[in-house]
Amino acid sequence: MTTEFVHIYNGLSPEVGKIRIAGSGLAWKGDESGAMAALAAGDIKWAQWIRVARNFQLRVGMKDRTRVTFDGFNREDHDKLSQLMKQHFSVTLETKESTFKGWNWGATDFQGQDLVFLVSNKTSFELPLTNVANSNIAGRTEVSLEYANPSSKKSSKSSPDEMVEIRFYVPGTKSKERSGSDA
Amino acid sequence: GSGGKEGKGWKRFQSYKGEAALPREAESLRIYVDKKAQTIILPVHGYAVPFHINTIKNVSKNDEGDFTYLRVNFQTPGQLAGKKEDTPFEDPDATFIRSITYRSPDGHRFDTISKQITDLKKEVNKREQQKKEMAD
Repeated sequence: MTTEFVHIYNGLSPEVGKIRIAGSGLAWKGDESGAMAALAAGDIKWAQWIRVARNFQLRVGMKDRTRVTFDGFNREDHDKLSQLMKQHFSVTLETKESTFKGWNWGATDFQGQDLVFLVSNKTSFELPLTNVANSNIAGRTEVSLEYANPSSKKSSKSSPDEMVEIRFYVPGTKSKERSGSDA
Repeated sequence: GSGGKEGKGWKRFQSYKGEAALPREAESLRIYVDKKAQTIILPVHGYAVPFHINTIKNVSKNDEGDFTYLRVNFQTPGQLAGKKEDTPFEDPDATFIRSITYRSPDGHRFDTISKQITDLKKEVNKREQQKKEMAD
């Protein structure tokens, strides 16, 4: 038995497609390009569910430690998806808690190949460290990550906004000398 | 005086109570100004990340070649701004996002966004000022 979900994105691609889930595995096919992403059941190690920009994301961890993501699921798809993951791949669909408080302070955590920014211990966003083109430390408390963007030829007026740099203020080293005043 | 410096004058704020409150426009993976929630939503690697207007210091914009760059600067401790009064922070020892920079081939749109953010900031500041005057 195969279950299909429509209007699903693969990774950060702008193209929607269909995802089919069956005992043999999981496959995504782009509606326009016909591009395929197929994951064999035996290679699937874990599955997570998290709210992203394009509704909910199913992220699947593979045997070779890579991760594949599919955006565009609805909140109501959760129970069905959870059941399919269990039934076909014997994995539990874990919910990753996210936050929408709108704060710019929190904590950073390294999870796999990502730098995760947490607000009140919930995920605000993740930065893949593999795409970092350059990183800088200024004045011991400021860290910047620069992202290289693919060549600009394809950009059009409707393309997404590309983040090229993010800077963090990490007061850790300074706070020691200041904390004396609280005592 | 009473109490410590930190946390003094701090007022809690929040953009959205939960994911269901995110506006539809967040799906576009483009910067969106949600006036009603007094929030700027920034796309970060597939996430829609809200930032309340109170966290934002200012925006700057510049054109380079075929692209326009928009930099959003946030309120953080330890900035050498020539301010009389220190902005209070709930947790000054946390890790802060200080700035995020985007680029787009559509300079007009970044013009508009930059203006929307600046206007929202002004509006909120004005309202705060009025509240203070009323309280005095």
